[in-house]
Amino acid sequence: MTDLEQILSEARAKVAAATQAESLRAVDREYLGKEGVVAGLLAAIPTLEPSERRAAGQGANEVKTAVLEAIEERKSALAREALSAQLSGEGFDPTLPGAAQRRGSLHPITQVTRELEDLFTSMGYSVLDGPEVELDHYNFEALNIPVDHPARDSQDTFFCDPEGHLVMRTHTSPVQVRAMEQLEPPFRAVAPGKVFRQETTDASHEHTFHQMEGLVVGKDISVGHLIGAMKTLLRGIFGRDLDVRLRPGYFPFVEPGFELDARCPFCEKGCSVCKRTTWIELLPCGLVHPNVLRMGGIDPDEWSGFAFGLGLSRLVMLRYGIDDVRHLLGGDLRFLEQF
Amino acid sequence: MLVSIKWLGRHVDLEGLKPEQICEDLTLSTCEVEGLEPFAPHMASVRVGEVLSREPHPDADKLSLCQVAVGEEEPLQIVCGAPNVDAGQKVAVAVVGTRLPGDFKIKKSKIRGVESRGMICSVRELELGDEHDGIWVLPPDAQVGTSVAEALDMEDWVIEIDNKSLTHRPDLWGVRGLAAELGAIYDRPLKPLDLTLPEVGADPAFDVRIETPACSRYMGLVLDNVQGGPSPAWMRHLLLAAGQRPIDGLVDLSNFVMLDLGQPNHVFDLAEVPGGIVVREASEACKFTTLDGEERALQAGDMLVCSAEQPVALAGIMGGLDSRVGETGSRRLLEVATFHPATVRRTSSRLGLRTDSSARFEKHLDPTLPSKALAHFAHLLTQWQPDVRLPAAISDCGDWTDPAMEIELSGDHVRRALGVDLTDDAIRSILERLGLGCTEGEGTWTVAIPSARATKDLTIAQDLVEEVGRIHRYGNVPEAALIADVVPPPVDARRNLVRRVQDRLAGSGQMHEVLSYSFQSDDLLETLGWTTEPHVEVINPVAAGMSRVRRAVLPSLLGLLAEGRRQSGDLRLFEVGKAYVPNPDAEDGQPTERHELALAWAKPAAAADAAFDDSRLLHLRGALQDLFAHLEIEAPTWTLDDQPPSWAHPARALVARLGDSGPPLARLADLHPEVAVALGLEGELACDVAVAEVSLDQALGAPQEASGYRPIPRFPGVKLDVAVLTAEETHAGDVQALIEKAGKGLVRDLELFDLYRGESLGEGRKSLAYHLQLQSDKRTLSDKDCAKFLDRLERGLGESGAELRRS
Ligand SMILES: [Zn+2]
Repeated sequence: MTDLEQILSEARAKVAAATQAESLRAVDREYLGKEGVVAGLLAAIPTLEPSERRAAGQGANEVKTAVLEAIEERKSALAREALSAQLSGEGFDPTLPGAAQRRGSLHPITQVTRELEDLFTSMGYSVLDGPEVELDHYNFEALNIPVDHPARDSQDTFFCDPEGHLVMRTHTSPVQVRAMEQLEPPFRAVAPGKVFRQETTDASHEHTFHQMEGLVVGKDISVGHLIGAMKTLLRGIFGRDLDVRLRPGYFPFVEPGFELDARCPFCEKGCSVCKRTTWIELLPCGLVHPNVLRMGGIDPDEWSGFAFGLGLSRLVMLRYGIDDVRHLLGGDLRFLEQF
Repeated sequence: MLVSIKWLGRHVDLEGLKPEQICEDLTLSTCEVEGLEPFAPHMASVRVGEVLSREPHPDADKLSLCQVAVGEEEPLQIVCGAPNVDAGQKVAVAVVGTRLPGDFKIKKSKIRGVESRGMICSVRELELGDEHDGIWVLPPDAQVGTSVAEALDMEDWVIEIDNKSLTHRPDLWGVRGLAAELGAIYDRPLKPLDLTLPEVGADPAFDVRIETPACSRYMGLVLDNVQGGPSPAWMRHLLLAAGQRPIDGLVDLSNFVMLDLGQPNHVFDLAEVPGGIVVREASEACKFTTLDGEERALQAGDMLVCSAEQPVALAGIMGGLDSRVGETGSRRLLEVATFHPATVRRTSSRLGLRTDSSARFEKHLDPTLPSKALAHFAHLLTQWQPDVRLPAAISDCGDWTDPAMEIELSGDHVRRALGVDLTDDAIRSILERLGLGCTEGEGTWTVAIPSARATKDLTIAQDLVEEVGRIHRYGNVPEAALIADVVPPPVDARRNLVRRVQDRLAGSGQMHEVLSYSFQSDDLLETLGWTTEPHVEVINPVAAGMSRVRRAVLPSLLGLLAEGRRQSGDLRLFEVGKAYVPNPDAEDGQPTERHELALAWAKPAAAADAAFDDSRLLHLRGALQDLFAHLEIEAPTWTLDDQPPSWAHPARALVARLGDSGPPLARLADLHPEVAVALGLEGELACDVAVAEVSLDQALGAPQEASGYRPIPRFPGVKLDVAVLTAEETHAGDVQALIEKAGKGLVRDLELFDLYRGESLGEGRKSLAYHLQLQSDKRTLSDKDCAKFLDRLERGLGESGAELRRS
């Protein structure tokens, strides 16, 4: 090892050993100061043989540059360490909560309705609307439920006049005939909205709730199509395939008519939601009765269709695990804030 | 409806079928099964005992001490209080440990110092009837030690069926009809039943006259030498299983026939119907006391069965109190009739008197059924009481026709509608299992519909599609994809508008969306003085004072304020909904529908001496302005509302119109202080409340004003604040106009940030402070431009009696 290498190596060792700015400055002074080692090397050059002077000058400068670099590097390392020590010294309570964020909310029925509307419109359904105060004609008569039909009993109707001419609609089905009057077949439509039943309220019964009617009119619409459409619907709602079963159900405006049950999405062997049956009664549906098509001005020999009535309130309760239907329209802020 | 499986078994062989299986199959093919329960399950543990000896209790006159054999080594000593207990009887014994109805557990006990190890039961204690005047004496051949259920063949299951699911099937309102259904499901034949009319004597038929079209058939059969007494045990047990209390032999038989065949019938004491039967409508309002002792107010048109003297039954619904079958006479009249469904239904629903009989008639019964039911009754009666005589010809009158009919059906129709690949043979076989005979035609069948299914249920080909589908099982129908051209549905402007409103308010507006009832309480409307306003009203509200359908959405929110304020210091609610206003001019009578947005914002008021006007009114106005801008509708004109609604503070009410004189787009106001108090917003709930309503119908029709894009300025602008001191009466809008005028088109982003009143300003003075920006599209503005602007502003303000505050 030459002298220069020896000097440089010692200098680097001293730089590395410096742990504070002060000691680093001492190294700086020792090597690069006016009286320092490098200055000494330079000062000694005139004493050398002329042929050696050039190399010695170069060597001294190389030592100077190298020491300077080492010191700078060490200096920024020390600064980083100091900053890091300072920052980590600040300490922070990781359990401090985020600042409260004020927010509004959309009603859960609105949220689920939108989801379904989007699902249906993506499949070519129109979204329709119908009046809550409805004519007997649309609520019953045109749906193949004439006056004195026993099926009217199960509807628990609110009447708006003694003649029963005007009623609070008992289902969203009146939109079926209104849709037929408005649209040219073939068409697909859904109609969400409020419906009313004159019944005593409790945790699972409300006099006002929400439904969504669906109606498809086309050529040769079959029960198979209905099953297919309902499975697609359930896939959209629950995000996976659910077994369904159709069993006979009587609704005068469909023929044949069904109740559609879906395999309980919450259990495998029975739970309180499915009343231990593993089936959830989800929606009534069926092929549109030819009389209803006729009432809507559609030729039943040419067209056929299916209809279904989805209980939106019930679906919302299933979705969020709401145990009391009265919360939905009760307007309690503690309820609304959760959505 | 409760149906006993043993009863079903009288009509169809159910051998090898588990009760659960039967329920499952009924559910999938026929109707809704709501439950399955064992019949009288406690009877499995009540044992047949034999009273070996009876001795008087040493310390009690009315008690007996019995030794009862129950099939164990030692007889049991049982103390019994019944007077009819006797040695040699077979009795029902509840041994120690048995549980009886009412969760009554039999324990070993001491009665008056004597040990008793069980109980000899009465019929009532076993809930098998009302008799409690003594213990139940079993038939002598009952096997000692076996369960009573087994010994008396009482083991049974009861299926509960949802009546609603049978609305369209009058034939299923009888056990035999339901059995036929099971026969079709399992392809098993119905057992034969003798329904031929009985032999009768030569006396002339009982006199029956029908004076109303609402009775299409009336059959009468005179029964003579009828004895009283309980009905046979097998019948009582079946009735019990079906949920019917056994009453008296003849009544039980009448009920049994009704439940068995679905045909209501009635037995009169012949002495109570002197001079024959007349079926007629009440000609005027009158009173009639029914069998249950209730006095009923009848109206003209209600159908009555009358004797020559007086009404004896409310036709098809319930007999009269006086027509109760007495114990005395042995001569009776059996009535089996067909009454008009709507007439029965109208009367029974008006009276709130729904009976097993009316429920069946209103389903539209088969008019051929009365003769079958009459025959069934007569055969069962004569089997039970062989001495009964039928002296007179059967009365049978009325204008009825057999509803049996034919429907044309093709296999293709069935396959197309169900979407299944069933062969013609398979379809035909299903129909025939259901008793629907098929005759081959040209590519179609002619399907014969028997009267029992033809009254209302099966009338068109689609009905037969259902018959095939449900027996084939819908679970066997493969799912199929709906195929059609995909055409995007038309743009739904209203729905889009509603979504944007909801999103804006729930988003940046930080408001909670409410959905509320369409009914508004009279109390609530009273606080608004609205009860005299025309409302759509329901005549049968859920509660008194809840009949009005809302004519505006806003009151629904008002009703939530007090409770909401308790939950939150800063309450912001909105609702999008419908309201209805009666419209006497509408041809169809339908009320006018309004789509509305209602908003309410409540927060404790700023301190009374606060300098800055931080009212909810301005905040809500800001939210509405933001909303309208977001909806890209033309900015409305806001003015003081000269016709403020009753909920509005009369001087702090605004109305926003599209154009200067258009209909209101929105109304916005402070809540009227009196209304606030009436709503409970006082004391610690007192607060500053601003409310608003927006007509979504107007918003939907409003001219659109796209917000568009404005190029980003190329030159830097100058930001500055100005404060203007002016008289209290000066409107902020005038000050703003002066600022804009002084800016010569350079003023951007003008924003009022302070409205201050204070002693230092002097009485009747206020200070308005604005942030603004001077901005040119052509050049960089300098301090000189700014100074020029302030000079112009100072002059302009000075001319209007205001002044620029130089700080
Ligand atoms: Zn479950």
